[in-house]
Amino acid sequence: MTQLNIPIESMSLPNGLRVVVSPDRAAPVATVGVYYNIGFRIEPRGRSGFAHLFEHMMFQGSANAGKMVHIKLINSSGGVLNGSTHYDVTNYYESVPSNALERVLWLEADRMRALKVDEENLRNQRDVVKEEVRVNVLNQPYGGFPWLDLPPIAYRNWSNAHNFYGDFDDLDAATLDDVQKFYKTYYAPSNAVLLILGDVDVDEGIKLAERHFAGIPSGPQPDPADIDEPPQIDERRGVVEEKFGTLPGIAIGYQAPRRLTPEWCAAAMLDRALHGGRAGRVYRSLVLEQQIAVDAEGGIHYPVGDLFDYNGPTLMVTRLLHKPEYSADQTIAAYDQVLDEMKEKGITSEELEPLKVKFRSNYFSMLEGGHGASIPRYGLMHLLACFTLFDNDPHLVNSILGGFMEVTPDAVHSAARKILTRPNRSIVIRQPAKKGAA
Amino acid sequence: MASAPRSEIQTTVPALSPARPVIWPPRPHTTLSNGLEVVLVESHTIPKFTGQLFFRSGNAVVAATAPGIADMTATVVRTGTTARASRQIEEDLRRMGADLSSGAGADTSVVSFAGLVDFSNDLLCLVAELTQQASFPADEFERERRQLIEGLRIERATPGFLASERMRKVLFGAHPYGTISPTEAQVESYRLDQLKDFYRQYYRPGNALLVMVGDFSPRAMLAQIESVFGSWAAGKVDEAPNPALPELHGRRVHLVHLPGSVQTQIVVGNRAITRKHPDWLRLTLANSIYGGAFNSRLVMNIREQKGYTYSPRSGVHPLRQHGYFTISAAVRNDVVAATLTEIFYEIDRMRSTPVGEEELADARNYLSGLFSLGLATQDGLAGQLATSTLERLPEDYLETYRERILALTAADVLAAAQKYFDSANAQIVIVGDRAQLETQAALFGNPEVYDAQGNRI
Repeated sequence: MTQLNIPIESMSLPNGLRVVVSPDRAAPVATVGVYYNIGFRIEPRGRSGFAHLFEHMMFQGSANAGKMVHIKLINSSGGVLNGSTHYDVTNYYESVPSNALERVLWLEADRMRALKVDEENLRNQRDVVKEEVRVNVLNQPYGGFPWLDLPPIAYRNWSNAHNFYGDFDDLDAATLDDVQKFYKTYYAPSNAVLLILGDVDVDEGIKLAERHFAGIPSGPQPDPADIDEPPQIDERRGVVEEKFGTLPGIAIGYQAPRRLTPEWCAAAMLDRALHGGRAGRVYRSLVLEQQIAVDAEGGIHYPVGDLFDYNGPTLMVTRLLHKPEYSADQTIAAYDQVLDEMKEKGITSEELEPLKVKFRSNYFSMLEGGHGASIPRYGLMHLLACFTLFDNDPHLVNSILGGFMEVTPDAVHSAARKILTRPNRSIVIRQPAKKGAA
Repeated sequence: MASAPRSEIQTTVPALSPARPVIWPPRPHTTLSNGLEVVLVESHTIPKFTGQLFFRSGNAVVAATAPGIADMTATVVRTGTTARASRQIEEDLRRMGADLSSGAGADTSVVSFAGLVDFSNDLLCLVAELTQQASFPADEFERERRQLIEGLRIERATPGFLASERMRKVLFGAHPYGTISPTEAQVESYRLDQLKDFYRQYYRPGNALLVMVGDFSPRAMLAQIESVFGSWAAGKVDEAPNPALPELHGRRVHLVHLPGSVQTQIVVGNRAITRKHPDWLRLTLANSIYGGAFNSRLVMNIREQKGYTYSPRSGVHPLRQHGYFTISAAVRNDVVAATLTEIFYEIDRMRSTPVGEEELADARNYLSGLFSLGLATQDGLAGQLATSTLERLPEDYLETYRERILALTAADVLAAAQKYFDSANAQIVIVGDRAQLETQAALFGNPEVYDAQGNRI
C-alpha cells in the first residue's frame, strides 16, 4: 500500500493565503497550523537568530488579542499551542477540542493581520531566548551538537552556515523597528499556508478560513533568499570544544541530493541502511560489534529536521560518541570501512526490502503524531505545509511513498558511490575539555 | 452563519460552539488463566498497533541489593533469546516495520513495541520470547554495562539530571525512591546472575499487564495473545519495600556545584501524594494554576513578565507508594535569589487567597480539554490506558475524569495548596557554579554543597 487516501482539500484566498483542510472526524479534536515560508536559514544576513526571536514575538500580542490573551484563550478552551522555527519555515499550531476551532482561527488571523508589540515585549523575549539558548546549548553536554556545529564547517554561504540560534550580540542589536519590518516582509498571507485538520467539515473549514483570513491585506512576496552553495571539492574539518561531556563526539555530514528526485529517494534508503537504528550498519558495526562508539545516530537533515522539511542544501549526518581510548582518527577509519563497504558492494534486496517496510511504518507514525501525543496529526500538518510551501502540492502526502518503494539495490549502490565520497563531506570533532574518568 | 460586518468579526472573540461528546472507546479488560492482565482498544487511525507489556516491579524492589538492576535487566533482555541472537532480533524488528524498547523505572519494568498490523503475530511472538526466554549473553551484558557507565558520566554533567537526583535524595532519603540512578561502582559490581534472578522472579504473567491499541479487532487480537502468552507459567512476586521517609523540617538549600555553568538549574520540591489519593485531582488543578500550564502564574511571572527563564514549570509526580511536587526553572546566574523569591511569592499567594472564578474556570477547562486530546491518536490512548490500568484506578476513570475536574471549586484549590505546597518546609536544590550562587542561596538558608558525584564538599 503506497498510495494513501488521506482526504485533502486545498485552495487559495484572493490575498494569496493557501488553505489546506484535511478532515478526520473520529475524535472531537482539531489541529490548526499556520506556516510561514521563513526560517532560520533564510533570515536576513547579519541578523543571526532573528527568525527564532521573531517567533517568540508572535506570542506577545496582536491588535485584538494583547499579550497573553492568545495563550489564555487557547488553554482555557482546553487546548495547547506552540510554535517552532525550522530551516525554511516557522510554524504556529494549536490542538483543541473542536468546538474551539473558530476561536483558534480568529487568533491566528489576528496575529497575521496586525502584530502589536512594544519595547518591553522585545526586551522580555530577548532575555527568554537567551535562557533558551543556554538551557539547550551553552549549559548542556553536547548542546548544539551537531546541528549548530556542522553548518559553519560544511557551508560557505552565510545563509547555510551561520549560527541559527543567534549570536547574543545580534540578538541584542534587534530593534522594534526590525521586528515590524521582518513582520511586513515575511508574514504576508501570500507567504503562508493555513492548515485545518481533524474534526472539521471541509466546506465549514473553508468558510471559516475565508471569514477570518480573507480580509487580511495582501503584501508583496519577499525576494527568495540566496542559498546557493558553491560545489564542495574538498573534505572540510573543524574542532569544537565540549565543555561538560566526557566522551569525544564526531559528526560527519555528506551533501545530500536535491529533494523529490529519484536520487534523493535512493539516498533516503541508503541513509536507513546506514542509520536505521540498532540494525543500521553504522550502529551495528561501531557500537554493537567493534564497540568503538557508545552511540551512533544519523539521518538526512538530522537532527533538527527530517527528510521532507527543508528547501535547499542539507546534509546526511552521522553523529557518534566514542570511547576515549580510541582516537578520532581510529574512529573515523572504522566508520570509513563501513561506508566503503557500502560503496564497493552496495546492498542486496534482502537488506533493502525490510528497510522499505520500516520506512512505510515510520511514515504512518509520523503522519499520526510525531510530536508527542498532545498534538494529534502534527506530522501530517507538517508534511502538508512543507509540500504546499515548497512544492505547491499538498497531495504529495498521499503519493510520495511510491518513489521510495520503487528504489532498487542498484539505485542505492550508485547513490552510495556518488554521495559517500571524502570531498563531499565535512567532519566536526567535539573535543572534551576535561578528562573522562570520574 | 449570519454575516457580520468585517470590523466586528475582527474584534470579537468567537464563542465556543457546542462541544461534541467525548466518547471513550470500549476497552475489554481480561485476565488470562496464568494471571496476565490484558487491555485492548481498537483505533483505526493508521494501519499499525502499539503495545506495552508492563511488569509491576522496577528498581525499587531491588534497591537495597543492586540499585538499577531492573533497568539493566530490561536493557539486556533485548539482546538475545534462546532462539535469536541480538542481530537477528534487530533485523526481525526491521522486517516487521517495528520499533521496540525496554527499560525500568522505580515501580515498573516495561517492553514497549509498535509495528504494522500485518506482522502483529510475529511481533507478539518476539515480545513473548524476550519476556520468557531471554538468554542474557555475557558479551552483550558487558557491552551494555560499559555504555551505561559512559551514559552515567554524561548525566553527571547534565544540570537537569543532577537537580532531579539531589531532589529525590532529599525528599526520599534511604527509601528506594531516593535513588534515581546507580553509581559507577554499583554498575561495575553488577553480576549477570542478578539480572537473571530479577528476570526469573519478576517477569511473570501474574505481575504483568499488556496494553495494546491499534488497527485490530479486539476479539481476534485476544485470541492471538492467548495463543502466544497463554502457556507462560505464573509465579509469585514480592512487593517493593516501603521504609520510613526522612523528616523534613524547614526550608533547606542544597547546592550542587557544577563548575563553569553559565546558567543555574533551580528545583523546589515537597513530598505529595499518589494518583490514588482522594486529593489527586485537587492537587492537579492547583498545580495547573500555579505552574502546570503555559497560561499559569509561574510562567506569567518569571518568564513573561521578568524574562528570567525559558522553561519554568511545576509538576506533580505520582509514584506507586508516594508522590512529590516540584517547581523548576533554568535561570541566568544573577537572578537565582530573585527567582526563588517569586516562586515562594506565588506559592504563598496560592496558599492564602482563593483563586478567582475566571481563572478557576479556565484551568478546569484546560485540564478537561487536554485529557480528551489523548483520544485522537494510538499513542495518546495507550498512555491514558496504561496510567489508569497500571495504577488500578476505577474502570470509569476515563469517563468521569472530566466531570470530576469540572466540579472542583476555589475551596478545593486553596485546600490542596495549603496542604501540599508546603512552603515552610520546601526543599531547594540549585545546580550551578557555587561562586555565582552561594551569596544568593544563603538568603534562603545555609546551603549544603555537593559535587557532581554527590559528595558533600
